[in-house]
Amino acid sequence: MKARKRRTLKHICLCLLYKLDSDKTPASVAHRSSKLQTISAMLNVSVKWQKELLKAVEIDTTQPPYVFKCQLYDLTGVPPERQKIMVKGGLLKDDADWSTLGVKEGQKLMMMGTADEVVKAPEKAIVFAEDLPEEEQALNLGYGAGLFNLGNTCYMNSTVQCLHSVPELKSALIKYSHSGRSNDVDQTSHMLTIATRDLFSELDKSVKAVAPMQFWMVLRKKYPQFGQQHNSTFMQQDAEECWSQLLYTLSQSLRSTGSSESPDSVKALFGIELVSRVHCVESGEESSETESVYSLKCHISHEVNHLHEGLKHGLKSELEKNSPSLGRSAIYVKESLINGLPRYLTIQFVRFFWKRESNQKAKILRKVDYPLQLDIFDLCSDDLRKTLEAPRQRLRDEEGKKLGLKPSEKSSDSKDKDIKMSDAEGSLNGSGESSNPTPDEGAMTGIYDLVAVLTHKGRSADSGHYVAWVKQESGKWIQYDDDNPYPQVEEDITKLSGGGDWHMAYICMYKARTIRM
Amino acid sequence: MAPQDPNAPSGSGSGKRNEDSVKVPATDPKKKDDKKDEDLSEEDLELKNQLELYVERVQDTDPGVQKNALESMRQEIRTSTSSMTSVPKPLKYLRPHYGTLKAYYETMAESELKNYLADILSVLALTMSAEGERESLKYRLLGSDGDIGSWGHEYVRNLAGEIAQEFAKRQSEEAPIEELMELVQQIVAFHMKHNAEPEAVDLLMEVEDLDLLIEHVDKTNFKRTCLYLTSSARYLPGPDDVLVLDIAYTIYMKFEEYPNALQIALFLDNMQNIKNVFTSCDDLLCKKQFCYILARHGISFELDDEMVAEDDDREALQDIINNTKLSEGYLTLARDIEVMEAKTPEDIYKAHLLDGRASAGASVDSARQNLAATFVNAFVNAGFGQDKLMTVPSDASSGGSSGNWLFKNKEHGKTSAAASLGMILLWDVDSGLAQIDKYFHSKDTHVIAGALLGVGIVNCSIKNDCDPALALLGEYIDKEDPFIRIGAIMGLGIAYAGAQNEQIRSKLTPILNDAKAPLDVVTFTAISLGLVYVGSCNEEVAQAIIFALMDRSDSELGEPLARLIPLSLGLLYLGKQESVEATAEVSKTFNEKIRKHCDMTLLSCAYAGTGNVLKVQNLLGHCSHHLEKNETHQGPAVLGIAMISMAEELGVEMAIRSLEHLLQYGEQNIRRAVPLALGLLCISNPKVNVMDTLSRLSHDTDSEVAMAAVISLGLLGAGTNNARIAGMLRNLSSYYYKDASLLFCVRIAQGLVHLGKGLLTLNPYHSDRFLLSPTALAGIITLLHACLDMKAIILGKYHYILYFIVLAMQPRMLLTVDENLKPLSVPVRVGQAVDVVGQAGRPKTITGFQTHSTPVLLAAGDRAELATEKYIPLSPILEGFVILKENPDYREDN
Repeated sequence: MKARKRRTLKHICLCLLYKLDSDKTPASVAHRSSKLQTISAMLNVSVKWQKELLKAVEIDTTQPPYVFKCQLYDLTGVPPERQKIMVKGGLLKDDADWSTLGVKEGQKLMMMGTADEVVKAPEKAIVFAEDLPEEEQALNLGYGAGLFNLGNTCYMNSTVQCLHSVPELKSALIKYSHSGRSNDVDQTSHMLTIATRDLFSELDKSVKAVAPMQFWMVLRKKYPQFGQQHNSTFMQQDAEECWSQLLYTLSQSLRSTGSSESPDSVKALFGIELVSRVHCVESGEESSETESVYSLKCHISHEVNHLHEGLKHGLKSELEKNSPSLGRSAIYVKESLINGLPRYLTIQFVRFFWKRESNQKAKILRKVDYPLQLDIFDLCSDDLRKTLEAPRQRLRDEEGKKLGLKPSEKSSDSKDKDIKMSDAEGSLNGSGESSNPTPDEGAMTGIYDLVAVLTHKGRSADSGHYVAWVKQESGKWIQYDDDNPYPQVEEDITKLSGGGDWHMAYICMYKARTIRM
Repeated sequence: MAPQDPNAPSGSGSGKRNEDSVKVPATDPKKKDDKKDEDLSEEDLELKNQLELYVERVQDTDPGVQKNALESMRQEIRTSTSSMTSVPKPLKYLRPHYGTLKAYYETMAESELKNYLADILSVLALTMSAEGERESLKYRLLGSDGDIGSWGHEYVRNLAGEIAQEFAKRQSEEAPIEELMELVQQIVAFHMKHNAEPEAVDLLMEVEDLDLLIEHVDKTNFKRTCLYLTSSARYLPGPDDVLVLDIAYTIYMKFEEYPNALQIALFLDNMQNIKNVFTSCDDLLCKKQFCYILARHGISFELDDEMVAEDDDREALQDIINNTKLSEGYLTLARDIEVMEAKTPEDIYKAHLLDGRASAGASVDSARQNLAATFVNAFVNAGFGQDKLMTVPSDASSGGSSGNWLFKNKEHGKTSAAASLGMILLWDVDSGLAQIDKYFHSKDTHVIAGALLGVGIVNCSIKNDCDPALALLGEYIDKEDPFIRIGAIMGLGIAYAGAQNEQIRSKLTPILNDAKAPLDVVTFTAISLGLVYVGSCNEEVAQAIIFALMDRSDSELGEPLARLIPLSLGLLYLGKQESVEATAEVSKTFNEKIRKHCDMTLLSCAYAGTGNVLKVQNLLGHCSHHLEKNETHQGPAVLGIAMISMAEELGVEMAIRSLEHLLQYGEQNIRRAVPLALGLLCISNPKVNVMDTLSRLSHDTDSEVAMAAVISLGLLGAGTNNARIAGMLRNLSSYYYKDASLLFCVRIAQGLVHLGKGLLTLNPYHSDRFLLSPTALAGIITLLHACLDMKAIILGKYHYILYFIVLAMQPRMLLTVDENLKPLSVPVRVGQAVDVVGQAGRPKTITGFQTHSTPVLLAAGDRAELATEKYIPLSPILEGFVILKENPDYREDN
């Protein structure tokens, strides 16, 4: 052992010696190595290395193969410890004996090895999706989980999925605490709010579908009508009822929490201010009133082919009331206009009506088209229109700019503003932090983008199937059919307008497009 | 004819018949003649009367008159037997007199005239003789030895049929057959002269004397004869098929058609014959062509100085056999088709063609999907030497933000990633080894294992004097780490498949019998040995594997991976039919967990590529049982059906139909194997009906059936770039976007479809679908057996089993080279091959052809022929490398 060690040491020295000579030609090195030896038996071999053939390399058979490797180091630049030289049936060992290897004059040897850098693992280990905890996988998926159907609860599931897509509502709920219950909120409302909050967070975390057991129990407790049973199974309910009741409860409980700056966050998000002119045709009396609603109704009659027409219908109604001047009840016409815009505009298609003869809620299958982008400017009151004009002009300019057009002549006065606020559009997304519209978030433009559709498939309100179609922050649409989320394309969303037995829109939720002024 | 039938002698009771028939001419016909005469034209009537006159005269007492009558009758018959579509008129009119003449014949004394009459009776028996009586033959034997051909084709054919029957009868009675054989000689000579080679061959096969054929073939008809012999061999039971092919070989050798002779020798796996071809031929250029054929077949073959005298020539020839220039040829093809540009997995997935369904752009790497990308990248860029993941310049790995692709794979995934480098640099040993080298010095055992496997893959089907694979991998076989061992062992198996290398055997067999070795190491050792000794029937290796199977514990044999050990045993007997029997007997003593599995595997391997219908039925029988216990043997049985019947087109069609039935009636474990069997039957051959079946199965509710179907879709379209399959897979990728396992399978299948950017094939059959490369088949069935339990093996940590497919990868090209083996571009016609077996004349061999200039790609079922007279190809089958010789008779026409 010792002897061998010493010998290798010696050759390392030799090797170093060669290294110094490396600028010289291989021949001279070989020559030198031969000079170092007194008695030498020389063999000429050729060595194949990659695509090159090194011809006439001398082997001194009295020296161990390590010397030969040093020679090759000189020729190829591959350090000896990384050289692998193939001789018949094996690798050439540093301390092998040439005589036993049977290398012949003129033989072709093959060498493998490079001076390439050894591949190193990256310092920061790569994280794989499979290693992540479940909630991060959910994040990675880009959309929330589905909800199990607990027996005719698709109306509830689809409602929850639609409302779950409102980030402001989510953050408002997060701020709501167990103890924060104030006295003016009853116990069951408080519990429903808590259950909603928990369910929303569970949907965010989970990859697999969630069973909304707790939520459902509380909902039934708060609104016993949802616990209606038929043949000892729970009955299908109207999703719109569920939607409005849930929103009402949330508005009650979230208003009372002191943490929020605004007294009524739900109202700010969904509330629509209406100003109505009540006008009696007979007497010419006129009065005006204001009210706040959570959704606009789209009435469907024979003339209605488009959402816009339905909305106009919905804002006009006739009512009979006692006329003070006539002293009897008379027909009054009520014409409403929107006076305050919500961040999320909810529109209900009034597809169900009570059919007395069949004693059930029947459904209107008429096709009513709705746009992906809704402009409600002409439904607004004059006051509101005035405030909307400036932002709308800006928006048009921005869009014009995007399309490469010059701003129109009219807006030349606002040109200087343009420069200051060039990235107004950028702030539109990701405003999930704050729960209510503050001026810095931009001004309303009266233009809305479709973000969620709740559809119904079937012939009556008490039967059929409800499904939610929700636009994700990434811009992709997901269809939540109970526990199964399916990705969908945007074109298919507009095909839910009815006129057949396919899913048809029942509630649409639009998100306001704002612009920073 | 019908009205006369009642009077026709019907072969019952000869005595009575005689009486009847004596009366016949006297009474009945006359009555009927009145009626019938109206239908006959004047000419016919005359002929009829004439013949009746002859019949009467034959019975005359004067020999002179008799002779004249016979001569005339003979003349009439001979001149009219030309048509085959209807019964010749003289025969028709003589029918009523057949009985008369026969009776008269019996009374005649032995004389020349009697022989004459016998001849005529023999001809008349052609239409008159009752089924099974063989009177034509009887009277022929009694008659004169005249030229039988003068009576026409139909007569000779009929005679041949009767001889076959008579021969069978005489053989069972052990009666003498000499006189028959004389006749056979005549008939064969006649057939061979008259373009009826198939009939001659058929007759000789019936009388079991094919050797006679050799005397009768000549320059003009030997090609058709041999073509018929070789294609009929497929349908013959052993050992007749070998006999037939031997005759074909002898004929080819006789006429110096060496390439064809070589192919038959290869088909029979007869080393002695292969050597004979080399020693008989003395054209060096031809020998080079032989070497190309041998190289494509993938068997190891050492030339000696008897075959090639000159050392330099021998070295050059051996280089061809060793496939050293395969990479160069393949790259020539790639450059010509302009597909050198490396492709990324995304280029293959084509996610942009899918509508919104594709999952939202994931920001985090998924190990499973990265592994799939690794395989896709390896398959697509196989053999091109460049890609966009693994061979990117190293400076990108140190500074680049993307980092080294290798480390985007997790744990054992790194093994496959490192090994993929071998696939990318396939067949290019020199640069391959240089590029893989750096991974040898890694600290990660998975990476080293991958590097070892990569070395094996690079060397697949390439042999090198220095044996770099053995030298490098040999060092690592006995390392501690099981991953490294598996990498080295599997690498050896791939690099030396079919080599029957003693050194490897002595290195690997000890592992098999090492009780301490882990099961996976043992399994891979067994498979590697099976591959190295594929189809060799090597006793010692078989013993070692059998012991390994016996040594393993009960629970270990229940593991899915352990089921590959019987397969390795089967590989030893691949296509060797009866030779397996001794081992099959031994396998009956195995642990019951593996016994039946082993039985099925051995049977299917031994008869793989034989088309043996009886064995297929046997396997179908096994599939009809409904199992209660968790038995696994039906999977290999289903695969076996495909392996056996893939031999020829007809068998393939029948097997596809049988498999459809299994799908409907079979248990789940059968249904899981059916897609794989379909994939094997039509590998690299995208048949539309199979594609539809698989597409249907790819949506099966059983996820394992779906996975198998998806992988099989990949196999079906392997290396074809088939747009329809690519579209199906793309849709499946969005359909299964949530199911990571199925998505992985879809990705692998996508990689397979674009294998080598569409320049490669996995079909183990080559040379006009005649020869079966044993190593290629072994590689495919190893993969398929692993796919029988997808979840445990491919989707587990043994995904690198997918690399066994490299054994079957071959360029699907026609590359013509000149006499210096430099690529030479010539126009060729490429079209769908037409079956010309048994067709007369010089029928067209291809249809719907297009003219290209070489190198060209050949799809499944395509055949090429030179579109120029300027060169003569040295191989009759234009596939792979073909040497062209200048045609000395060629004249440029202006």
